[in-house]
Amino acid sequence: MTSNNLDILKALEAKNFQIQIGKLGTAAIQAPVGKHRDALKILLDLDEKTAVTAITGIDLGASVGVYYHVRTSNSFVTIQCEVPKDKPTLATITDLVPGAAFHELEVTDLLGVVFEGHPNPGRLVLPDTWPEGVYPLRKDVKINEVKLNTPSSEDVKLSDGSGLVKIVIGPHHPALLEPEKFAVLVDGETVKKVEPRIGYVHRGVEKASESKTYLQDVYLVERICGICNSCHATAFVEAVEKILKTDVPPRAKYIRTIILELNRLHSHLLTLGHAGLEIGYETLFQYFWRDREPIMDLTEMITGNRVISSSLTVGGVRRDIKEADIPKIKATLTELRKKIPFYKQMYENEPSIRMRMQKVGVLAREDALKLCVVGPVARGSGVDIDVRKDEPYEAYGEIPFKEVVYTAGDTWARMNVRMDEVEESINIIEYALDHLPSGAYRVKVPRVVPPGEAVNRVEAPRGELFYYVKSNGTAFPERVKVRTPTFANIPAFLKTAIGESIADVPPNFVSLDPCFSCTDR
Amino acid sequence: MIDYLWLIFRVLVFPGFTFILFLTMFCDWIERKIEARMQNRMGPSFTGPSGILQPLADFIKLLTKEEITPNESRKSIFRFAPFFAFSVLIFALCFLPIDGASVIPNVSFGGDLIFVMALISVANFLLFLSGWSSSNPYSSIGAARVLTQFLGYDIPLLMLALAPAFLAGSLTIATIVARQWIPFVVLAPWAFIFFIITMQAELEKDPFDIPHAESEVVAGYETEYSGGKLAFLKLARDVQIVFGASLVTVLFLGGTNGPAFFGLPELWSTLWFVLKVVAVIVISEYMTVLFARLRIDQIVRANWKFMLPLSVLSLLLTIGLAVWVYPMV
Repeated sequence: MTSNNLDILKALEAKNFQIQIGKLGTAAIQAPVGKHRDALKILLDLDEKTAVTAITGIDLGASVGVYYHVRTSNSFVTIQCEVPKDKPTLATITDLVPGAAFHELEVTDLLGVVFEGHPNPGRLVLPDTWPEGVYPLRKDVKINEVKLNTPSSEDVKLSDGSGLVKIVIGPHHPALLEPEKFAVLVDGETVKKVEPRIGYVHRGVEKASESKTYLQDVYLVERICGICNSCHATAFVEAVEKILKTDVPPRAKYIRTIILELNRLHSHLLTLGHAGLEIGYETLFQYFWRDREPIMDLTEMITGNRVISSSLTVGGVRRDIKEADIPKIKATLTELRKKIPFYKQMYENEPSIRMRMQKVGVLAREDALKLCVVGPVARGSGVDIDVRKDEPYEAYGEIPFKEVVYTAGDTWARMNVRMDEVEESINIIEYALDHLPSGAYRVKVPRVVPPGEAVNRVEAPRGELFYYVKSNGTAFPERVKVRTPTFANIPAFLKTAIGESIADVPPNFVSLDPCFSCTDR
Repeated sequence: MIDYLWLIFRVLVFPGFTFILFLTMFCDWIERKIEARMQNRMGPSFTGPSGILQPLADFIKLLTKEEITPNESRKSIFRFAPFFAFSVLIFALCFLPIDGASVIPNVSFGGDLIFVMALISVANFLLFLSGWSSSNPYSSIGAARVLTQFLGYDIPLLMLALAPAFLAGSLTIATIVARQWIPFVVLAPWAFIFFIITMQAELEKDPFDIPHAESEVVAGYETEYSGGKLAFLKLARDVQIVFGASLVTVLFLGGTNGPAFFGLPELWSTLWFVLKVVAVIVISEYMTVLFARLRIDQIVRANWKFMLPLSVLSLLLTIGLAVWVYPMV
């Protein structure tokens, strides 16, 4: 059941919603307080692939704006609500869209909007010592003057008397390379409940970006994540370019595409290897990481930096690809392509991999849709969403490539999605190199951005990455909202881990390709 | 007097304690080097020629580190379990003929194979105790897994160890070795293959590396250990691996049997023994490198569904051959 944009807009107009076409995605819908659920219901009824991408909270002076960014199969709409600051309450949408639970908690933490009827309210991103009633993203809060409470020194109880043992995975644990806590309650070896706590390395990038210029913000948002850094930069500069109405030269678009795909390549190779480590297959890990090295070298050759490329800027890219480098890039990719069949056959047929990954962490298609998961996790469950196809950006509209979808929904399917995407990425880069347009690779843009707002989506290696940027006519943005793919995918882990063995927790979790520095912006 | 000095020399230096210790570290180095080379890494490279002294350096380094005993732990068990495990394994090795005779002369008795097999169970139980006494959730789970695994795999291991006993017509290790003018691996290859796989499970190596699954339970029963106690716990594990390989050598590969050319025959026996042990370790390391770690329920199921019936079948087949077929040849 799909629908085109017109159907959706007609249905919404019939219910007397104000619609602004072309604003914040396909259209922006003004919903009076209490009506946002009706608008969402219409969208949910019309299209099974309707999912909440993000909820942006924004300080509008006297009121707080709550924007629900909703994607359907072929459109992207924003439902705009406003709640007064003195009584910031809204009805929850978690009963309609369970995947919105984390997004609502985040808005509560950062802007103090209370969502009535939320199933498990509590702190999500702010530390436990953060004082009550101070909401960091409100404009009147002076962050330097916030006084943290003294941390309480209560003992962690290993058992609550119910016979369940609490295994705490994190904040320090060999399976997690970044600090995040999952308290896993186990009965024997079976997982009964997972209690997440994120925010251990929350750096307040959204707040920090409001005090830096647009150009500085490009480098700031790049540092949200070391692995998919170019995706963050692309998502941000594209949003700014939308507000500026800048036309990026075609050569820049192709170069950006190449950098983005190199990002995806090295990210996927990293995860495919890391999954080997989690199931105790160290050899696989060592092999994948050996073959990831040349990709890092390519990134360095093209952008000048090995990890954080810092090569994108508003209006284009900062460095051209030299003609002399193209054969070298192609040679490296050919070398990698030769190794792909071996790895593919490894992931598809190796018995111990199949035993550890098949039927582990099964996420059914309906659950994947309900929980609004993105990227390889969704594609492993048979949900064909890929921003590169659905809403082509940069040069993706002109480059032929296959959208990889597996239907099994287990860890094995998610890893195989990545395995096949490695091959597609090589194809995309080779095509882009062959069809590289000539001409300028950047245009000059003004430092001061006119008032406006824009949303932008990019397919990061881990899935749909969402940015919302609002400018106020100065050189500093009014609000930058980032929704990272891992943030959207964690609910899938919380659901699929229940009832499985504790030994299945690491492979299941790593199959989301979790990135906590993304999650804790 | 000379006899006593000779006995002390045998027990403490060669082929006893010191020799076993250095053999263990040598085998550890071989394991690490093979694993590294198969994974496109260098492995130990700097300490001694090709890093051969790295295991010794690691051991000494651990001895110099601070030791922490958790307040909640059962202190006496926590302290002594690693040393007991280490001693029991060294003691078990003393029954194996390393240079042609067992380490303590004339210690061999009828049925010492069963005794030695029992000592492995004791050592495994001590490893379980070391984890259980730490009172740490990771250690407890790791310890419970050790117990689950060795309870399951002890029975097939013993059944499979009986195959050479039937072929030799004796439960005495010395007799089993002496009767192997054709190594039993030729006469009962199926038992050899199953024995190596079961041994892999008994020694907690991949794909049966479950008690140590670091992505699930940190370091399993070793989690709370540090300093000298950790050094001995690790050493006990390494001795266990050497012991497993030695048992395979003794039961299936003809132990110390091999041509002696010049000089002392004991030295040639030792050489053949060490070479065979290293060969077994290479095989077991290959398995470790080539597979992912399985899950505890998969291993338990594999044991009761496949390994146990197979070991019974293997025993029946061996008895049949040993009684009716091989005597005619």
